[in-house]
Amino acid sequence: MLTIATAIQDLPADFPSAGASARDVLALLDDPQEWSAFSRPSALGQGCWESSVVIEGMHCAACSLTVEDALKKVPGVLSAQVGSASRRAKIVWSSADVLPSAWMQAVQASGYRAVPANDVFASERRKRETRQALWRWLVAGLCMMQVMMYAYPAYVALPGDLSGEMEQLLRWASWVLTLPVMLFSCGPFFRNALRDLTHARISMALPVALGMLITFVVSTVGTFEPQGIFGREVYFDSLTMFVFFLLTGRWLELRLRDRTAGALEALMNRLPDSVERQLANGQFARVAARRVQVGDVLRVNPGETFTADGVLTVGATRVDEALLTGESRPLARKVGDAVWSGSHNLTGTVQLRVERIGAATRFAQIVALMESASATKPQGALLADRIAKPFLIAVLLAAAGACAWWWGRDPGHALMVAVAVLVVTCPCALSLATPAAMLAAAGNLARGGVLVRRLQGLESLARVDTFVFDKTGTLTLDAMVLHGIETRDGLAQDQALAMAAALARHSLHPVSRALVNAQALRAAAVEKSHASHTTWTCDAVTESAGEGVAGWVQTAGPAAADIKPVALRLGSASFCAVPARCVPGLQVHLCDDQGWLATFILQEDLRPQAADAVRALQELGLDVHMLSGDGAMSVARVAAQAGIVQARGACTPQDKLDFLRQLQANGHSVAMVGDGLNDGPVLAGANASFAFGQAAPLAQSKADFVILGEQLMAVVQTLRLARHTMAIVRQNLWWALLYNAACVPLAVVGLLPAWLAGLGMAASSLLVVLNALRLAPRLTLSSPTKMGD
Amino acid sequence: MDILYLLIPLSVILVFVILGGLWWAVDRGQFEDIESEGERILKDT
Repeated sequence: MLTIATAIQDLPADFPSAGASARDVLALLDDPQEWSAFSRPSALGQGCWESSVVIEGMHCAACSLTVEDALKKVPGVLSAQVGSASRRAKIVWSSADVLPSAWMQAVQASGYRAVPANDVFASERRKRETRQALWRWLVAGLCMMQVMMYAYPAYVALPGDLSGEMEQLLRWASWVLTLPVMLFSCGPFFRNALRDLTHARISMALPVALGMLITFVVSTVGTFEPQGIFGREVYFDSLTMFVFFLLTGRWLELRLRDRTAGALEALMNRLPDSVERQLANGQFARVAARRVQVGDVLRVNPGETFTADGVLTVGATRVDEALLTGESRPLARKVGDAVWSGSHNLTGTVQLRVERIGAATRFAQIVALMESASATKPQGALLADRIAKPFLIAVLLAAAGACAWWWGRDPGHALMVAVAVLVVTCPCALSLATPAAMLAAAGNLARGGVLVRRLQGLESLARVDTFVFDKTGTLTLDAMVLHGIETRDGLAQDQALAMAAALARHSLHPVSRALVNAQALRAAAVEKSHASHTTWTCDAVTESAGEGVAGWVQTAGPAAADIKPVALRLGSASFCAVPARCVPGLQVHLCDDQGWLATFILQEDLRPQAADAVRALQELGLDVHMLSGDGAMSVARVAAQAGIVQARGACTPQDKLDFLRQLQANGHSVAMVGDGLNDGPVLAGANASFAFGQAAPLAQSKADFVILGEQLMAVVQTLRLARHTMAIVRQNLWWALLYNAACVPLAVVGLLPAWLAGLGMAASSLLVVLNALRLAPRLTLSSPTKMGD
Repeated sequence: MDILYLLIPLSVILVFVILGGLWWAVDRGQFEDIESEGERILKDT
C-alpha cells in the first residue's frame, strides 16, 4: 500500500500529459483488496460499490460541479456527490462496468486528483500541502515587508529629493523581490487558472490570477520602460500586499476549515494505522491495523485508540467513548467488559480479544454515516453553486467594461481599476456561506453524540414548530421496572420475588427480565447486609407465550430436603386464574396450587431527562405530542409524567403517519422522535426526524439525526444548534451579498485601490468561515443519571 | 548616500537568506506542532 501511496504522491502535477506511468499506478487500485480499503458494498445492488475519496485541487463550488460532471460521464459510475467545503466525494460505481482507476483517471483528466480517503497517505499528503501553503505565505509576507520599504521613499520624497538613479534602483529591488512572490507564492492561482482555461471553464482562480498578472505586467513595464504606454507608475507594493492578504485569508481559512469540517475528519481518521498484536510466542509486535483478524489479542497503551471491538482479557482502564455514545465522562472497563473501536484508552495498558473488525464495528458504521452526510449538499449550497459561474462571467465583463471606460484617459490606471474589480469580488464567501456553517454544526453535534445523516436536516429542523414523540424506547426506557409487590399474608416480599425470579429466569419476556433484574438488585442488597437468604431452583418449566410460565420450584442448599417442591404459575390474571387488581400499570401474578400468592406491579420508566426535555421544547415555543401503540391508560400516565398534554394511545404505524400528515396539512412543520426500530415510515414522513441509535443498526436508520447516547436532552440541544446554524447561514449569505453589491460598483468607478480590494476579498471569506466557527464549541450534554442506583 | 547603492542590493540578498532559513524551518516541520513542546515539561512520560 505504501508503494501506491508514494507513487500517487509523485504523480506529475500536469495531468493531461501524465502518461502511461500514472495509469499503471492507478491500476494498482483495481485490485479488490486495495479498493475495499476505501469502498464498501453499496445498497444499490449486486456488484455496486460506494467509494469515498478526497478530491484535491478544489477551491470553490464551481470545481465540485466540474468533478461531479466528469465522474458522471464515466460509464459504470452510478452516482457522484462532491462536497465543496469538505472536499470529500462519494462515488457509487458498479464493479462489472468500471474499475476505480477509470473514474480516478476521469477526475485527473479534468485537472483534479482523487485520493482514497481514510488512508495513511491522505494525511501525509495533507501535511505536505499545509507545509507548502505555510511556506508560500511566509515568502509573500517577507517579500511584502521588504518591497514596502523600497516603496516608501517614492511616497514621501519631495520632488528632487530622490535622484532618478536611486529611484530606479529601488524599483529594480522591488521587482527582484516581487519575482518569488509571483513565481512561487502565486503559483497555485496561476496553475488553477491555466487548468481551467485549458478545459474551457471558469473558476474563482481566473479573476484573481488575471488581476495579479495585469498588475505585474503594468509594473514591470513601468520599471524597465518608463516611457511605455502604461506610464511610469509601479504597483509592486500593492501586488505583494494583496497576494499576502489573499494567502493569509486562504491560510486561516484552511486552518479554520480543518477545525470545522476537520472536526468530522478528525473523528473519521482517529483509528491508528498500526497495533500491537500478540504473536504465537506471547510476544507483542506492531502490525498494520488492517491485518488484525477476529480472535487476535491486541495490547493497547494509555492514550491509544482501540482499533477493533473486543473484550478485555488483561488489565483495567478508563475509556472515553464520547464519539460512540455521547457520554463524555471516562468509563471504567475491567476484564470481561466490551470495548469499542474508536474509543480512547485513557489510563491503563490493557489487552483485548478482537471480536469485530473493520466494517462490522459500530465505529465504522458511524464513520460511514458521517462520510455520506459530509458529501451531501444543502439547498443553499446548491443555489450558490449554480450562480457561481454566471457571477464570475459578470465580474469579468464588469472588469473589461471598467477598463475600456478608463482606457482613453490613462491605460495604466484603467488596468488597475480592472484589477480592483477582479480582485475584490468574492463568490467564495457566497459558496462557503451555507456548507461551512452546516459542517461546523455537524462536527459539533458528532462530538456530542448526535450524528447528522443529512445536512439538509438542520435546515428543516430549524423551521419545525411541532415535536411528536414516540413512547416506548423514546420517552421511556426499553426496560420495565418493578414498582410494587403485593403478597398473601405471611409471605415476605423478598421471598415472593425470589420464587418468581427463579421461574422468570427461564423466559425472555421483558416482564420476566424486569423481575430477574429486580431480584438481582435485592439479592445484592441482602448480601451486603450479610443476612441469610434462600435460593430457589426450578424444574419442568413450561412457558405459554404471552401468558406466563409454570414450573416446580424448590429451595436449593441444605434445607432442600425438608421442603417439598411447589408447583408455581407466574403470569397474567387469566393464566393464574386470579382476579386482576385495580392498580395502574402492568401486573403479573404468582400463584401456587392453593391460589394467589403475590402480584408484581411493573411500570415503564421515563427516560431521566424526558420531563426536562419536553419542558425545554415547550419553552422554545413548540407543540409537543405523543403517539404510542400502547393502551390508552399507560400512555396517559407517561404523558402526565412527561408533561405532554396531547397524547394518543393505541396507534398503529399507519395511524401515526396519518396523524403526522394531518399536522402537516394544517401547516405545521413536524419533527418526529422515534426509536428508529419500527417507526421507519413515520420518521421518513416527518420534516425532520430523530432516532435513538442504540435500538436499530445505524446503517438502517432513516432518521436525519441519530442520537448515539441515552440523553433525550440531545434533541433540544440539536434543535437549538440547528436554529443557531440557520441564523449564521443567513448572516453569512447577507454578508456575502452585501459585500459584493457594495464593493463591485466601488471598484468599477475606480474608488477602490488594488491593495484594499485584496484585503476586502480575503477578509470577506474569512469572516464567513469565522462566523461559522462560532458553531464549533462543544455541545454540553448533561450526563444521564442512571436509574436504580 | 552612495552607500545605499551597496545596501539596497545587500538587503535584497538578506531577504533571500532569511527566506532560506525559513524554508529550512518549515521543511523540517517546526511550525506543525507548536503547543506540545511547551506542554512536554508538564507531562510525566
